[in-house]
Amino acid sequence: MADQALEASQPVDLTKHPSGIVPTLQNIVSTVNLDCKLELKSIALQARNAEYNPKARLMFVIESLQRFAAVIMRIREPKTTALIFASGKMVCTGAKSEQQSKLAARKYARIIQKLGFPAKFKDFKIQNIVGSCDVKFPIRLEGLAYSHSAFSSYEPELFPGLIYRMKQPKIVLLIFVSGKIVLTGAKVRDETYTAFENIYPVLTEFRKNQQWYGSGSFSIGIGYTCPNPWIRNITNQYHCLYYFVFFHQL
Amino acid sequence: MSDAFCSDCKRHTEVVFDHSAGDTVCSECGLVLESHSIDETSEWRTFANESGDNDPVRVGGPTNPLLTDGGLSTVIAKPNGGSGEFLSSSLGRWQNRGSNPDRALILAFKTIATMSDRLGLVATIKDRANEIYKRVEDQKSSRGRNQDALLAACLYIACRQEDKPRTVKEICSVANGATKKEIGRAKEYIVKQLGLENGQSVEMGTIHAGDFMRRFCSNLGMNNQAVKAAQEAVQKSEEFDIRRSPISIAAAVIYIITQLSDDKKPLKDISIATGVAEGTIRNSYKDLYPHVSKIIPNWYAKEEDLKNLCSP
Repeated sequence: MADQALEASQPVDLTKHPSGIVPTLQNIVSTVNLDCKLELKSIALQARNAEYNPKARLMFVIESLQRFAAVIMRIREPKTTALIFASGKMVCTGAKSEQQSKLAARKYARIIQKLGFPAKFKDFKIQNIVGSCDVKFPIRLEGLAYSHSAFSSYEPELFPGLIYRMKQPKIVLLIFVSGKIVLTGAKVRDETYTAFENIYPVLTEFRKNQQWYGSGSFSIGIGYTCPNPWIRNITNQYHCLYYFVFFHQL
Repeated sequence: MSDAFCSDCKRHTEVVFDHSAGDTVCSECGLVLESHSIDETSEWRTFANESGDNDPVRVGGPTNPLLTDGGLSTVIAKPNGGSGEFLSSSLGRWQNRGSNPDRALILAFKTIATMSDRLGLVATIKDRANEIYKRVEDQKSSRGRNQDALLAACLYIACRQEDKPRTVKEICSVANGATKKEIGRAKEYIVKQLGLENGQSVEMGTIHAGDFMRRFCSNLGMNNQAVKAAQEAVQKSEEFDIRRSPISIAAAVIYIITQLSDDKKPLKDISIATGVAEGTIRNSYKDLYPHVSKIIPNWYAKEEDLKNLCSP
């Protein structure tokens, strides 16, 4: 948490993030092999913060009911959840950074050790990194879906966001009309950043311009677009006309 | 009477065709040139006023190129009346033993046909849906999938490809038991399969509110003026930043137009006709209200009428 606050206050490194926006990481999913067979019932009984419901049925995406045979354990610091399986494999979710995920996984391994199992810490691997950010302008999703039809899937009836499957790096982005972006599928933080830098110019190309004159966007040659929100909200066309003329004079 | 080359006379001679025996005979030397000729004219006579149900000119239905043998089938017929048990016991069994490979396909086509009849779709869309289903089935990976949802999704994609989209809710209403979510998932799956099969060929534009306008309006019985005004309004509304599903916008525009006309439809009717929930129509109305003067065409409603519109 402390290191995140520090990151936010530092100015954005424009060589690394030319768009000026850095996606914040929201969730890290990692797996680790404790390398010993576990007795889930005893873990569930002994640990305070664990739940184990072997009779519970879980519906998976392929719509077949399966038993969910794992202990769900939670710790408060870092606030994470772990699924611990009888084979000794563990999945740790909910951390906000890679170091926190590793730290949390180690804490879970420690808990299992304390319960009497010879737990080790083998093959820690980060499986998924989810990040989100806000480009602060509305986006024309339909235009984007039309021009990037090979990668986009936009079904407003089914989901309000556009699902963009980037090939390089292999990341899935959820792009919303409000300008909020969710990036998922990265194994390392840099993939998230690269994916965002790749998509940013595309998003600016399909920016939804506020309606002053009723149709489309007007480009002013000098590359200046009015970022001022209060100017946008002025419905009085007189003011807008003034601004337009002003630009011409520049 | 015709000419043919007679091998005995070694020249072209007059040839007589004897219909009773089917022989082609040389008239000069009497040599039979061809025997047992097959008559290719029609088996029975057809009268113009007699067609009714069994038109004897054609035997069987149109060929279906999607089925392996073109839809040909030879079946052992049940004789009229009597001896029913005899047939179902031995002959019937023999017939069903040699199962045709397309049984599942034919069943699926029948289901698609039922669904499209319920929706009143033209044969073009039904045939396209059949084609899509066959292409997906050819890749064997769709075994464990929910068949109803898969067929419904084929129909949905077919409607979209023909530029006559139907909302997922409408397809839901005729699909037996498939939910909106399942149809959505099946649709994604099909698009992916078809994309894998021949590289990005699936062309489906995004839906627009205008595509559904005509249908929703006629379901509600609006008059032509109102329908035209609604279509124009929906076109104009696309320029504004309204963050709602196109169907909800369509429903809200219909609500506004009907409130402005003499024939006010209650929210409940609009909700049933469009499939949009009443709360959603109210919320979309709230979003549209600030722009209502720019959206509704001038020839349909004057400024004062717009002022009379209830504020959300």
